[in-house]
Amino acid sequence: MSEFLGYIRPNGDVGIRNHLLILSGTVYANGVCERVADTIHGAVPITHANGRCQVAPDLRVTRRFLAGTAMNPNVGAVVIIDHFKEEGMTAEDLADDIAPTGKPVATVNIRGDGGFISAVDKATRYAQDFARRISLHQREAAPMSKILFGTECGTSDTTSGLASNPANGLAGELLIAQGGRMLMAECTEWMGCENWLTDKAANPAVAEAILAGVKHMEARALASGEDIRGSQPTGDNMAGGLTTIEEKSMGAVKKIGDSPIIEYLEIAEAPTKTEAGNYVMYGPGMGAESISSMAAAGCQVLTFCTGGGHTSNHPIMPTIKVTGNRGSFELMRDTVDVDVSGVFYGEITLAEAGQIVYGEVERVCNGYLTKSEALRDNNSFAIHRVGPSI
Amino acid sequence: MKKVFVVYATDNVGTAVLEPIHTGDHVGCNGERSDLEVIALDPIAYGHKIALMDIAEGDTVLKYGLSIGTASRDIKEGEHVHAHNVESNRGRGDLAERDAVTAE
Repeated sequence: MSEFLGYIRPNGDVGIRNHLLILSGTVYANGVCERVADTIHGAVPITHANGRCQVAPDLRVTRRFLAGTAMNPNVGAVVIIDHFKEEGMTAEDLADDIAPTGKPVATVNIRGDGGFISAVDKATRYAQDFARRISLHQREAAPMSKILFGTECGTSDTTSGLASNPANGLAGELLIAQGGRMLMAECTEWMGCENWLTDKAANPAVAEAILAGVKHMEARALASGEDIRGSQPTGDNMAGGLTTIEEKSMGAVKKIGDSPIIEYLEIAEAPTKTEAGNYVMYGPGMGAESISSMAAAGCQVLTFCTGGGHTSNHPIMPTIKVTGNRGSFELMRDTVDVDVSGVFYGEITLAEAGQIVYGEVERVCNGYLTKSEALRDNNSFAIHRVGPSI
Repeated sequence: MKKVFVVYATDNVGTAVLEPIHTGDHVGCNGERSDLEVIALDPIAYGHKIALMDIAEGDTVLKYGLSIGTASRDIKEGEHVHAHNVESNRGRGDLAERDAVTAE
């Protein structure tokens, strides 16, 4: 089994980064979060629009996203900031969720700690202490089987289903052969190739959950007035050469390879199993929400397959952009990491493209910065909503 | 020679990715099936598919090594393969309605 150099956490998880996370518990703490992160070396702020006036099921999902992100092995320590007596999800609640990981966590309450200036003061002192403490962490050898490898596609084009997605599926198989796990979300895209997925399900319960997940997403869209099944493939897809929904969907789900699907997860839920293989998660096609749900589930690394050239990058989960479109790679050379368009020109085989993607994943696990990480273009934290603001 | 891309060795269609193909062009394959060569019977635009062999009505159209639909009529080697000669087997809202009526 191959190894990588990572940060071994007190609970046995292994991170590929050692971030100090400054986490906002509510929209009204975003300003304090950003101010603290501005001051402290290496601190990463995560801010969002949630945490207030949410119905209970929606708030539960938000809590899973926030706590899960902080629990991600790439996070070495966390400072959480909220503003008042939050309704059903205080900074202390989030700290309780994170506590089992054993990583340092501190909480600050803007009102309780005396307003903006005092909260920034207190949180900055915690953050300074944590930044120095985690700076002592060293990378140590760990097996690749510790990696939960997320995968996503967005701004897809004709090349996606032909090159970047299948190459990525082959890369996933290389990790699974090392005992690792691959996670795919975006159940909107499973529509039309449900059987390909259920055939791979490790047991009937997983197969049923996959079918139920697709139905639920479809019903959700229908309730908003959109018949997604009836409109697929879209007119643009047809003009672009895609003939049937199964052709379109297969191109998308080929992001994972042929290994069994071990477990079906609800959005932002961490796997309960450690078995090597594929894992699938309920969730929307919206890229930022989708990759944030996979970071919250514990993915240390993610490949983002893109035809048009996507900018997506998660703040704490390195996001490797892979394209099969040479023009997009040229245009987005500072943003897209891997070009596998050589398969179209007869320069490389798909199997070689899979090895190229896996090689990049291994390097990034060992500390190599993605292009967007180097730019600190941390644009893709978003929380999936399952209820209205009240 | 112009080239189409073939994802999987068992596929019976290839996709035009590098350049548009004109009627009468000799077309080879990159990716899998580099052994195959066909003559285009139709123009094939970027992203569109060409039949790499004769596909009989009712036969499965294969891309990624998997079914992307069924031939709705005989398709000749070199023909454009699209909605005019392939039917989906999934997500058929029209059939769901028909089946629901039949069930009643």
